[in-house]
Amino acid sequence: MSDRLKIALLLAPALSIIGILFFGGLLIGFMRSFNYMPVIGLTDPDLSAYAAVFTSKEFYLSFLLTFHIAFTSTVLSSILAIGAALLLRRTFIGRSLINFLFQLNLTVPHLVGAIGMLYLFSQSGSFARLGAEWNLISKPSDFPAMVFDPYAIGIILQYIWKEVPFIGVIILANMQSLGEDYESVARSLGANKWQAFIHVLMPLIFPGVLSASIIVFAFTFGAYEIPAILGASYPKALPVLAYQKYTDVDLAARPEAMAMAIVIALLSALMIYFYVRYTRRRIRS
Amino acid sequence: MTHVSIKELTKIYPGSAEPALDQLSLEIPTGELTALLGPSGCGKTTTMKMIAGLLAQTSGDVLFDDRSVLNDRPEHRGVVMVFQNYLLFPYMSVADNVGFGLKMRKVPKPEIDRRVAEILELVKLPDLGSRRPSELSGGQQQRVALARALIVQPNVLLLDEPLSNLDAHLRFEMRDLIRGLQQEMGITTIFVTHDQEEAVVLADKVALILDGRLKQYENADVFYKRPIDEATARFFGGQNFVSGKSNGLVFESALGKLALPEGAISGSGKLTFRPENIRINATKTDENTLKAVVNERIFLGTQTRLRLVVGDEKLDAIANPNEVENISTGDSVNISLPASSLWVLPK
Amino acid sequence: MVGKESFSVRSFRVLTGIVLITWLILPLIPLAIWSFAKGWFFPDLLPKRWSMQAWDYALSDTAGVIDSLWLTIGISLAATALSILVGIPAGRALGMYKFKGKELVELLILAPTIVPGIAVVLGIHSVFISMGLNNTVSGVILVHLIPTLPYMVLVMSGIFANYDPSFEAQARSLGASPIKTFWHVTLPAIMPGIIVGGLFAFLVSWSQYILTLLIGGGRVVTLPLLLFNFATSGRNDITGAIGMIYILPGIIILLLTAKHLSGRSGAVGGFGQI
Repeated sequence: MSDRLKIALLLAPALSIIGILFFGGLLIGFMRSFNYMPVIGLTDPDLSAYAAVFTSKEFYLSFLLTFHIAFTSTVLSSILAIGAALLLRRTFIGRSLINFLFQLNLTVPHLVGAIGMLYLFSQSGSFARLGAEWNLISKPSDFPAMVFDPYAIGIILQYIWKEVPFIGVIILANMQSLGEDYESVARSLGANKWQAFIHVLMPLIFPGVLSASIIVFAFTFGAYEIPAILGASYPKALPVLAYQKYTDVDLAARPEAMAMAIVIALLSALMIYFYVRYTRRRIRS
Repeated sequence: MTHVSIKELTKIYPGSAEPALDQLSLEIPTGELTALLGPSGCGKTTTMKMIAGLLAQTSGDVLFDDRSVLNDRPEHRGVVMVFQNYLLFPYMSVADNVGFGLKMRKVPKPEIDRRVAEILELVKLPDLGSRRPSELSGGQQQRVALARALIVQPNVLLLDEPLSNLDAHLRFEMRDLIRGLQQEMGITTIFVTHDQEEAVVLADKVALILDGRLKQYENADVFYKRPIDEATARFFGGQNFVSGKSNGLVFESALGKLALPEGAISGSGKLTFRPENIRINATKTDENTLKAVVNERIFLGTQTRLRLVVGDEKLDAIANPNEVENISTGDSVNISLPASSLWVLPK
Repeated sequence: MVGKESFSVRSFRVLTGIVLITWLILPLIPLAIWSFAKGWFFPDLLPKRWSMQAWDYALSDTAGVIDSLWLTIGISLAATALSILVGIPAGRALGMYKFKGKELVELLILAPTIVPGIAVVLGIHSVFISMGLNNTVSGVILVHLIPTLPYMVLVMSGIFANYDPSFEAQARSLGASPIKTFWHVTLPAIMPGIIVGGLFAFLVSWSQYILTLLIGGGRVVTLPLLLFNFATSGRNDITGAIGMIYILPGIIILLLTAKHLSGRSGAVGGFGQI
């Protein structure tokens, strides 16, 4: 058997499943977003769904909110993860506990984290109760809105909770395989601690931080259950809005939902582009 | 231009009972090139990192020109360490790597460019400034690492195994380059190596460290002629050790009575002499002549190794292949052990 | 690097460590407390009365939590098994061979790990309608393959990249048939990878929400769906109990595989999806 045939046979099952389910799903969504579905008699593609979506204020607000959630969560998580990795690099009391909790946290589904955040930060949650205990507030509504709020603070907090360990574990492994000698060289050449961090460690770990951040950005942009638990009713995060449109009693709203799904897919395609570009560059260097 | 004093420098890593370095004391005069020689894991790199301020010592002191530098941060010590695997920053061009130290000192860009060009000329890599480190050969990377260190004009230069990653033919080129630059700039230089040949070839003085302790600190040739004990002699390739008794002038052993050089110790001890110092086909007029039987003859290309037997003693000799062409296994030969090549080690 | 650290630096390190530890376990604490609370009203810091009511309910035969638990385990096991079965050959092709179009194949497999489920599941739902797969367990298992299979392929290609095929050649030359070679030589060598990759693929499936919600159509109620329903209906005590049950497999898997969870192993990449 030739190698080509062998490779094709080895790959065939996986590629067909991914091709049919994933790319098929994308393609059907794409077609339906243009109102094109010959099997059910829709043979004239049009742009009405996109016209409806792109003229709706709700969509823009929703897109901005989702972008804000994804961007803020990713940036804050990356920064905190770098800090956490720097901390965990040294031996100190409690390091192995933090390491364990980082790993534990990786296995806890986002949904559980979201419910935990709800119980911590809602206006009758644990922190509001602490506030009452210390006489900072007298009734629940005195507590600042951190869940169901327009700035999506609760959502971002939950993402930070989950993603700092995710990015942190990747950066830490990165740092450990680099060792400290590059920084030692920099120090001995006259760089102070800060200069060694900025000019040497950061550029060395940057590709790892970036690829982890891209995964986080795409996830936080497209996740449904977290904003569904912690988000405000208006505007909704884009995935929540898309789901709502799709399950609307009015079936005519479905193409609009598909159009939003395509917007999310396009944004993640952009993320994949960055991801591949940077991982390739890493391989080359 | 710095005189380096190391005083009882000790390092015990956390969680380890044995010290990685045990009370090392050394004086390294201004402008000299000193080798720290020892097997892998004997504490050489640890010593360098402590001199550079990259690792905290457990006890002891490091002084530059009689001033303790223990509280100086690494970037203020004027010590540059060149690591064994060069550690060029992979995301920077060669020129940016070389100029790194100047950039950290906030030297203006035009001056950095000028000095980088200068030093790249000096290490004979004038046209490679825009390349990436990954595009360079090992020898070129080594020279870039050296240039990156020299450009900041350090008071003390530390080199970790500077020749060990290089091919044989590159070693002598690099040796000449390092020695040349070091002498020209007068930088006190310390390098570590596990390879006695590398130490001897490059250094003015060699400090032999075995088991975390300083064994002997002398000019390189002394290790061959006057080793301090059997372990030192063996580290430098010594093979022949014969037990016996010395009165300071004559050594009495299974080999008979042999005349000793001046300065040999008295009492019972071990006689040692290097394989290459045994003279085969000796004449009556030679000193310390013996009769030996050739047990084995191994041709090694540029030299021939002979396993000799004198009585019960086995001796190793190395000779020029031409001189021993006519000798074969089982032959009896006259050998001479010149007094100047003998040395007595304490028991 | 520089060993001597001042007291203040060390205290800062310990202090941030304590903050970090607290923050990491904080969201799980109210969940755990709620599961043992019998009414826990503002502004009480701790419940006035404790009870096992929520646990009794969750573990009773009538509540459906146990049924849902078994269903979720079944779906995740099935999705994992299929992913392993299909992932091994694909991983072998990607890990051991260089071929034209390999980068494209890798891209096709990478894409589902980055593109969110919501972007594809609406389209799949439209197709599954005509195939009768909506609202069925098989439909849910199939759609779970979208996140689990690419992950398994990536893990297996990492395993095969470090795998020396000359052992197989040796076995063949000693007279083993291809099947026996696979069974006695290849499989034992890649087993650790299969186990770790499989456990994590299980977790990836275990944590799926939107795919199950849409394709299951409310008929296939896995544990996360049940948890979501109780959380949004305000039954905090039962939510707490189900939440505790829901995170249990992750903890068990963590204890089994802790050493593989460093970022250096390719396995960790899958956690972007949990």
